Formats: sequence, structure tokens, C-alpha cells
Amino acid sequence: MSELFDLTPEQRQLVDLPPQSRIFLEGPAGTGKTTAGAARLLRLLEAGIPASEILILLPQRTLGTPYLEALNQPEAFTGGMVSLLTVGGLARRMVELFWPLISAQAGFSRPDEPPTFLTLETAQYYMAHLVRPLLGEGYFESLTIDRNRLYSQILDNLNKAAVVGFPHTEIGERLLAASDAEPSQVRIYQDAQECANRFRGYCLENNLLDFSLQLEVFAHHLWGLPQCRDYLNASYRHLIFDNLEEDTPVAHDLVRDWLPEIDSALLIYDHDAGYRRFLGADPDHACLLKDGCEQHILFEASLVSAPAVQALNLGLGDRINRSRQPLPAEDPRPALLYETHRFFPEMLEWVTGQIASLVYDEGLPPGQIVVMAPFLSDSLRFALANRLEARQIPVRSHRPSRSLREEPPAQCLLTLAAIAHPQWGFTPGKFDLAYALMQAIEGLDLVRAQLLTEIVYHVRQGAPTLSAFDQIIPETQARITYLFGERYDTLRLWLEQYQQDAQDEAHILPLDHFLSRLFGEVLSQPGFGFHASYDAGQVTANLVESIQKFRWVAAPTFGQTDAALGKEYIEMVKDGVIAAQYLSGWQIEAEDAVLLAPAYTFLMNNRPVEVQFWLDVGSRAWADRLEQPLTHPYVLSRAWQPNTQWTAVEEIATSQERLYRLATGLLRRCHSRLYLGLSELGEQGMEQRGPLLLAFQRLLRDLAALEEQS
Amino acid sequence: MSTPNPKLPAAFQFSQSNLQDFVDCRRRFQLRWLLRLSWPAIETEPALEREREMQRGAAFHHLLQQHILGIPAERLSAMVHDPALQTWWENYLAFTQAPGEFAPLWQPETRRFPEIALSAPLGSHRLLAKYDLLAILPDGRVIIVDWKTSRSLTRRKYLVDRLQTRVYPHLLLQAGGQLYGGPILPEQVEMVYWFAGYPDQPERFPYSPKAHRADQEYLDSLVNLIQRLEGDDFSLTQDETRCRYCIYRSLCDRGVKAGDLTDMETEPELAEALELDFEQISEVAYDMGAATLD
Repeated sequence: MSELFDLTPEQRQLVDLPPQSRIFLEGPAGTGKTTAGAARLLRLLEAGIPASEILILLPQRTLGTPYLEALNQPEAFTGGMVSLLTVGGLARRMVELFWPLISAQAGFSRPDEPPTFLTLETAQYYMAHLVRPLLGEGYFESLTIDRNRLYSQILDNLNKAAVVGFPHTEIGERLLAASDAEPSQVRIYQDAQECANRFRGYCLENNLLDFSLQLEVFAHHLWGLPQCRDYLNASYRHLIFDNLEEDTPVAHDLVRDWLPEIDSALLIYDHDAGYRRFLGADPDHACLLKDGCEQHILFEASLVSAPAVQALNLGLGDRINRSRQPLPAEDPRPALLYETHRFFPEMLEWVTGQIASLVYDEGLPPGQIVVMAPFLSDSLRFALANRLEARQIPVRSHRPSRSLREEPPAQCLLTLAAIAHPQWGFTPGKFDLAYALMQAIEGLDLVRAQLLTEIVYHVRQGAPTLSAFDQIIPETQARITYLFGERYDTLRLWLEQYQQDAQDEAHILPLDHFLSRLFGEVLSQPGFGFHASYDAGQVTANLVESIQKFRWVAAPTFGQTDAALGKEYIEMVKDGVIAAQYLSGWQIEAEDAVLLAPAYTFLMNNRPVEVQFWLDVGSRAWADRLEQPLTHPYVLSRAWQPNTQWTAVEEIATSQERLYRLATGLLRRCHSRLYLGLSELGEQGMEQRGPLLLAFQRLLRDLAALEEQS
Repeated sequence: MSTPNPKLPAAFQFSQSNLQDFVDCRRRFQLRWLLRLSWPAIETEPALEREREMQRGAAFHHLLQQHILGIPAERLSAMVHDPALQTWWENYLAFTQAPGEFAPLWQPETRRFPEIALSAPLGSHRLLAKYDLLAILPDGRVIIVDWKTSRSLTRRKYLVDRLQTRVYPHLLLQAGGQLYGGPILPEQVEMVYWFAGYPDQPERFPYSPKAHRADQEYLDSLVNLIQRLEGDDFSLTQDETRCRYCIYRSLCDRGVKAGDLTDMETEPELAEALELDFEQISEVAYDMGAATLD
């Protein structure tokens, strides 16, 4: 089966090493390391190693695709199943399994109750629950920040403590020691520490496990527990750990500890990467794993980039680093195409034209093209997708999360839920209802929906009510049409019936069940807006799942009724705490389509393409780290020396390093050509001269000078 | 709106669950497994009761897995608070102690594998199954135990017709050799449905070479058929009573209200359906990226 891969001699040599080997494979991206890893996996299976004894560890699940593809070959293996896990996933499984043995010693107040695992959303919810009252007491007073960002950064600090491996009680101290100790900043860090402490205390009291606590319980209480260790050692004898530079120090510690106990290991390390540093990745620390392996192998030759792209990569990298290296012998210019425009939309036109030419004139498959920007705003995504679709070029888009509360079907569902539950005290605005009716009733336009709403929607004694269509004067009925009127009445009567039933509190449905029933019995029936709308079905499913997870977690903690939890959920949505982000599941996407993606998302998909387009090249966002006033990826890292100050010098140095790694990583995943979409004014209409643009300018100047000299 | 017409992807993996869907309703198979269409209608009423049954069933399976892996029963007993779960748990503990035909399952020499997944090629795709318990007895027999937590005792005739009864022993023969330490013969295999609420009425299905041959032919023909179909070939079931318990009923214009739980014969199969995908198995639904990409 490993013959499925067309391997180089170096790859073949690695794959053919005896099964009982511990191998550290390193090299730049694009040198065929993961391909060798997938081929090695098949070779282990061929050698008779049971699939269930193989564990593939990855820092992020998107990186598992090459291994899944190899395993999905019909003849790949027969028997048990290979496990593909992140260290976080492994931690959760072990906590779930061995909970009864460690719940008391780990400090949980209810050791005889099961654990409740928090998702990102539900963790934010509990954080909001604890922090909101403190805001009224003056916590974070000097900070202007969205509340959900505030909550997520406190959680992020806890996660950093867990993945780096220091006590969460030291977060504030570490941040303070590195700061310039401005009184307002001191207070902010103290507040952040206090909130982290309270959150952790609350979790221990209520058997709640956010990501950080899952990992800490695993590392501190399970890893050394004989039953758990024996189980792991009996289950997994062979380890493949890919992209370990993107994983965290605690993940590395666990693997380093485990290596002597397992039969074989292949550890794969990418040079010049570490793109998930803001999530605690530590590429320098990952190198320590080399000592645990007997075989050290280096792949150096690119199997991806054409010589001109490699030269471009070298030349650009040197200019980002401001090193005085001579220009590469190969001329990089055949690999670089660009055109400067005054305005952003002009640049988008040029980009679209170039893509059309690549697809229609050169016959390049659209799937071999990626368009990237440091951040891909919805407007940029929309503008590009529209232009490409107008030219019949398929497009797909990757984004890490989508805002559920902004999806029209979700807005419609939540508006109708508010009307069905007058006891909640929410009164949707007229426009919200008109918009909801437009979504709910197939074919109803906004003008008719607004007319209908004006007449039938009233707020009586603070409660929203809907009146019947037949109470409208005939002329207006005719304008709205009887067909829409009949559908409106079906919906109204359904809501009314529910309200009547719900007068008995026992008949109030959990919000997710209410929405499922509304969806199934009305909105997805023929004549209604969600019927045969697969997108509306997906959005409703995401919303229902989000509410259900919230209810399952919150109900045992608060002992609230289902009705009260529905109201609480909607309040949290309004506050932006939940449904602000939602990890979209499997989506139907055209595979052979131009990919629009933020640069880091493309990198973490780890799929080389023929041609790349970089937009917004003048933006500083290519180099700058995210503005995070409550946390710090470098200070809260293992390498950071305590009591050292983070100054502008470190900021500039890390920014330069980040840009270098990003540009290099992208170009190592580019086969033949890079297009730069340049505009004097950026998307926001501002003139931009960020370091990436300056590096390109320096490179082009140096090339021109060299040409003149020769 | 026209229905997209996706072909069976190369990486598609068959399971008893998706094959059962195909046999029950081709359209359902297409919507659920080819289009992966989320359609969150209520499956059966009362939904809250159904949900609690599913949660209780999942908790029971988890408890048994923990016990079989060696966590002491006394410690686990302290964690059971729900009265119905308590009854099931006690029934199970009694089952593990009872003398008689199932006693060998619990002998120290018996090798037990709880919640184990097996996979083997099936045509140009793969067939997967996750077993509640595989027990290799000292006398060479292999018992497949499936814990059933349905509210009523399932009819034997119903179980005979389920794909699970055919797929599990068949796949064990195909893929269980490594676990067993050599080829397994059909006559060594038995499938047992054990009902948590009716512990004295398990249903047993001994396997045989004849059944194995028939199952191989049947599964091959089923998969060949699925591969040949496209678009409208995935027709709706003739048996409209099935639609009462199908979430896609509104999409197919086959009814409004969900069927009643008390009339429903099947038990929740959600756990297996969701977990059989490598990617689903892989990871905790938490992404630190989302926490920080603010």
C-alpha cells in the first residue's frame, strides 16, 4: 500500500526503516515529510502492526487530511482503527474514562457526579456569568473592549497556563513583570488574574471542565495514574506526531515522557514554522524531542516550489530580515507578477481578470489557486466571490468561525421564539418581525412583510401579539395576497397554540426543542421559507445544537427550568457571548474551486497550490500580532525569562520573525507563481506601507540594481 | 430547488447505520449520508423524554466501558444517581455474576474489548462497525454483545431484519483476526443483544458459514447497487409509517408531526452514527483558535 505514493529515494529510505524505530524527521515545508509520514503509516500496517495500536497526534485536526486519505484507501488495512487525536482530544477521552478515579484528588467538589465538558461557547457563558457582576464593581474599568473578547482572553490566559505548564495563579504576576507597570495596566492584569481564579474555583465547585482544566487534570492527575498509563500503553504502541512545532510545551513534555515506553515513533518537525504561537505553540521547545529519537533525518529539497519561487522566497526572506545576503543566483521575477492600482476595487478587478486568464487561457484548475489576505473580511470575501462567480469561476472560502447570530434564518427563529414566549419580556422590533416573516414565508418580499407587520403586530401590556389575517381590510389583504395571508395564519396559529399550551409551565419546551418543532412542523413545510433550503436547515441545526449544549451544561449547574434557560440563552446571544462564533461542521464545498482564505488558515490546511494571490500587501496585519490587552503569547510562554520586560525591541523583533515565517511558509506551499494585488489605498481607504510591501520593494530595487550593474 | 446529485465519495465508509438507512429509504440515505444534510426536525415525541432516554443509554454504555476496563464497581455505583440507570446497572452487575450460559463472558481468562471499532474493505469502499463488547472466550468462541437500552423488549423478528445483526458478525470475521490471533470461523461467533431493562431475555444469534456467505453476497450487492444509483434513483420509501420517525419528513412532503415514542421500535443509534467517522472520533469540539481569533 505504501507504493500508492510516488516517493523520492530519501522518502523511501525513511519509510523502509525497521518498524521499531524512533525517528525525528525535520525540514522545511514542501520537502515531502508528511507524505513520507503517511507512507510510513501504511508501511507499519503492511508490517502487520494492528491499526488500533497506532496513534497519530496532530496539533489541529485539519492537518490530519493526508493520513485520513491514506487510511481511506479500501485496501489500507483490516482490523481495528488508527486513532487521530490532538493532545486536547486525548486528554478529554482519558478524563471521561478515568474520572471516577481522580475526581476527588483533582479537587472537584462533587467527585461522585459526572464531569461536564465545556465548549468554547459554554465556557464563555460561565465566564460572563462570573465576570459581568464584577464589571459593575469597576473591574476592567480602564479597558475599552467587547465583552466577548474580554471573556475569551481570560479563558485564553487559563489555556496558556495549561499548555505552557505553569500554575494559573501566576498569570497576572507574569504579565505584570513583563509590563511597564502603568497603574491602569497593573489593575487590568490583577483583575484578569482574579477572574481566572474565580472561574477555576467555580469550575472545581461544579465539575465543569473547560479546555485548560481538561488538560491540567490529564497532565497532573491522569498521566501518572497507573490505570490510565497502562491503558494508554496497551492501546497505543506506535506514534506518529506531525507538525509538532505547532504544538505546545505540555504536549511535548507528555510525548517526551512517553517515547521510551512505546515501540516506535515518527516525529515530524517543520522548520521556520510555529504559526500557532498565539495558541501556545512552541517550535523551539519541540526540538527537545529530538533527543528521544535514535534516527535523525533531514529533508531539504523542495518538492513543491519551482526554482524561481524558491529564489523569490530566499530573496524576500533576506529582505524581511534585513540581512545582507547576496541575491539568489536564480532570477525570482518570472515567479512574481504584480500591478499597482490606486483603489482597492480596481485591484480586485485585476485579480479577478488574472484568475480568469489562468483558468480559461492557461487551463489551470481553479482548485490550484488561492487568494489570501492577512484577515479576510466578509466584505472582501463577498466582493471577490461575486466577481469570480460572475465569470463562472467556482469559489470556496475557509473561515475559522461564522457568526451564527447574524445568519438570517437564526434571526428569524429567535424572533419567532421571542413572540411565542411573552413571559420572557422581549419585544422584537417591527423590522425584526418583518424580516423574520420574509424568511419564514416562501416568496414573501420585504415590502409585503412590512405592510403585514404594520397591521398585525402589536405590543400589549409589554407582550408581543399577532392578529389574524382576516381582520385586515380586503384591499390590503389583496395587496399582501391571500396565499401569503394563509401561510402567515398557519404560522400565527401554530405560535398561538404553543402559547396556549405553554400556559401550563409543564408544557413549555426547551428552546432547542421549540425551534426544532417550529422548523419541522411549519418553517420547513411546503410553502414556507426553510422548505428545501439546505442552508436554512444547516443554520437551524447549528443553532439548535448550540442551545442544546448550553442547556445540557447550564441546567445542572443552575437548576433552572427549561423556560428560564431559553430566556438566558437569548440574553447571552444579545450580549454577544454565545452564537457569536460557531465552528461550522462539514460543508458542501466545491473542491475544484478558487480558495479564499486568511493567510494563516491556508497555512494550517497545509495544501500546496500552483498559484497564490496575496492581497492587501501593504497592510501591517501581515506582521503585527493581534491586539490582546489581557494576554500575551510570548510573555506567557515557557521560554520567556521571568522578570524581563517586554519592550518595543522585542515587539519589533518578533514581528519581523513572524512576517518572515509567514511569507516563507506561504511561498514554500506555492508551485509556480505569486501574484501581488497592490493598491495605494487599502480596503478601508487608507494608504498603507507595511513591512511586507517594503520588503518586496527592496527586493525589486536590488534586482533592478543588479541588472543595471551587469 | 433542485437536489444536488453527489456521487458516493471515494472515502465513503459503510456502516450498519447507513446501510440500514438505504434499505429503509433510499432518499433518506441520500439526504443523510451523501448530502450530509442537517435537518433538525423532531424525530419523535415527546422529544424531551426521548432525549433523556438517549442520555441515559449513553451513560449506561459509558459506565459499562469503565467497568470492563477495570474501574471498581463500588466506585462506579457511587456515581449512579438516576433510578432507571441504577436499575440497569444493577441488572448488569447481576448479569456479570450470574452462573449459566453467559458466565464465561466474565471469566478472568476471557479477553474483553469494550467499545472497539473494526474496519475492512467492502468493494471499493470500507465497512466499519463499533462494537459495545467483543469477548474472546478461552474455548475459542467470540461473543459480540450489544447493550440495548430501549424502553421495550425488541421483537426477535425485528432484530433478525436489522443490518446490525448481519454486519457485526460478518465484519468480525473479516477484520477480527488480528485481535483473535488468527482466522475466526463463523461457527465460533455469536451475536447477543442484552436488554438492560429485561436482563433475563437476551436475544442470541449464532453465526454460521451459510449466513456468512449470504451476508457477503448481500452486502456486495447492496454496495454495488448504491454505487450505481444517482439523483432520483434514490427514491422515497413505500412504507410511509417510517416517515413518522424520519427528520426529513417535511422535506419529502411526508407529514408534519413526529411519531410517538411509545410506538417506536428502534433505539437511539446516534452515538454510532456520529462516531464512525475518523474525523468525528478525533477531537474534542473545542478550538482554542476561535477563542483567540478575536
